[in-house]
Amino acid sequence: MSFALRKQGDIVVVDVEGQLIVGNRQELKQKVLDELERGEKKFLIDFSQTGYIDSSGLGVLVSLSKKIREQGGELRLANLNDDLKTLFELTKLDTLFQIADTRERALESF
Amino acid sequence: MTELQTVLTAFRDATGCAAAIWAEDEGRLPSRLAASTPAVGILGWTPTFDNGPPRLVLCPGGPAMVGSIPGPRRAWLVIGPAADPSVPLDTYVRFLLPVVSQYLQSALEVEHAANELAERYEEINLLYTITEILGRTVSLGEAAATILKEVSETVGARRGSILVHDRVTDTLQTVAALGVPALDVPPIALTDECSVSARVFRDQRALLVEAGDAVPCPAEARYRRGTMLSVPIMWTAPGGGAQPLGVVNLSDRASGQAFSAGDQKLITAIATQIGTAIQNTRLVRASLNQQRLVQELELAHDLQMKLLPRTEIVAPTAEVAARVVPAESVGGDLYNLFRLGEGRTGVMIGDVSSHGYRAALIMALVMSASAIHAQGSSDPGTMLGALLGTLREELASTEMFLSTFYGVIDRRAGTLRYANAGHPHAYQVTADGVCERLPALDPPLGMVEDTPGARTRPWVSGADLLLLFTDGVSDARDRFGIRFGEQPIVETVRRYRAEPPAQILTRILDELSEHTGAAVQRDDLAVVLVRS
Repeated sequence: MSFALRKQGDIVVVDVEGQLIVGNRQELKQKVLDELERGEKKFLIDFSQTGYIDSSGLGVLVSLSKKIREQGGELRLANLNDDLKTLFELTKLDTLFQIADTRERALESF
Repeated sequence: MTELQTVLTAFRDATGCAAAIWAEDEGRLPSRLAASTPAVGILGWTPTFDNGPPRLVLCPGGPAMVGSIPGPRRAWLVIGPAADPSVPLDTYVRFLLPVVSQYLQSALEVEHAANELAERYEEINLLYTITEILGRTVSLGEAAATILKEVSETVGARRGSILVHDRVTDTLQTVAALGVPALDVPPIALTDECSVSARVFRDQRALLVEAGDAVPCPAEARYRRGTMLSVPIMWTAPGGGAQPLGVVNLSDRASGQAFSAGDQKLITAIATQIGTAIQNTRLVRASLNQQRLVQELELAHDLQMKLLPRTEIVAPTAEVAARVVPAESVGGDLYNLFRLGEGRTGVMIGDVSSHGYRAALIMALVMSASAIHAQGSSDPGTMLGALLGTLREELASTEMFLSTFYGVIDRRAGTLRYANAGHPHAYQVTADGVCERLPALDPPLGMVEDTPGARTRPWVSGADLLLLFTDGVSDARDRFGIRFGEQPIVETVRRYRAEPPAQILTRILDELSEHTGAAVQRDDLAVVLVRS
């Protein structure tokens, strides 16, 4: 379980490897907030290597989305697997985020 | 000295010459150790003694010779007076001196050995005593005071202390002191450069400090007089290295002599026992704390379960079966039931994000707030909106949210009106086996500001089933990490839909338990089944 951050142009891309759960959500939050504080505005979280997100993981995504918006920034999500996509649809979270099927499409959408 | 007495008497019988041995005893004036019997003419007379060669003296019965006996003990041989004044006194002295010297030396060695044996016996006795003290008490302070007293008596120290390392303040705290009240001695910082105890603790090596060595630190000055022996209290974990736990200090020896290597060895052995006792005390304390914590968690669990309503409160209008199982002692999953009158029943299920205590506090708030709002709002969407109004600040400050479904079944009107804020697992199962998902109409409460909407569906009274469960059920994993999933639950309800809800619930929980086996429950879970 880890989070890899890399810069692609002016976009901060975060890869979530493994799970996003109660045990590691704060780490993700802190890493993204650190970047936000440095002045970064565009964030893409890529879930292509993510198996599972629990309810507290969803909570941190919502919280980050709010904080990024407050700073005039944007957050995109990409590569949700079928289970995660269903979870976002069933909980109506798909209405709160801009979700792209691939990383490329997400990058183009900024 | 009866053997010596016999030798001197035999000598007198053989030579007709009286003989006596005088010896000095620990600085006192010489006294007579042995004499031939019957002593001839020398009883009641004290010669003068010196360390020079044998010399002739005149005693009340005639001439006699006094010779210093070689050896570690200051002693003298007196030969004479003799019945025959012509006997060669100097020859007799030369003959008898080595014999007596040898004897005295052997006697001294025997005496030393006996003393040594007595000391060892005393030490063994001390170790037994300490073992008994440590065996019958778990109060470290009490044990330390008794041990210090026993140890001090054995090595003849009049002052001393036992210090134990306090991990919170990183200081050495006096748990027992001799010659000064323990409470009067301030703690010693481990970094204190002038403290012998701190140094011994840091170096993990015993130290013998002489009276003039270094300026004593103020805390130690209270019990340090003259030479002080300071020994670390060590404890070795099974399979691990030794670690210091404290220090034993002893000083102000009654004899004024320095502590010996033997004393150090003895105190080191005792310090090891004290170390084990300290560790045991800590383990006992930790175990008691753990026990208390477990009891408190059980109490918290019972309290939380009591917040959930009995399913009978909506009978006979509705037949309900429900179960909540927190992953920890308490959790954030809940259900609530409301008797709304006129054939209407309110059914709610909720999942507070995260689990444990923080989620449990929100859960308790949801339980009480929903009970109030359900009676005040006839529409489920309005009710959840009012609930959000109550929870908003709490959810925002804790970054939590509540996914919840709230439905009102009106058996007279034949409708189910529901609001669904991000709750993924809600189904209506009809009498002919159709399972229809009641999808979320809005994101979970706490994620958006809007009041949730509501939707109405037809409901066949006494036949349709409402199935609600949280993701703790569908996400439950077996030992290989495979999810239980939604389908087995929905399929079980569909297949056994004609059975009473309680029976269907038992089937679901049995299947779930078969799937998860001994795997650890990762999330709270809740299941509710309603027929009305």
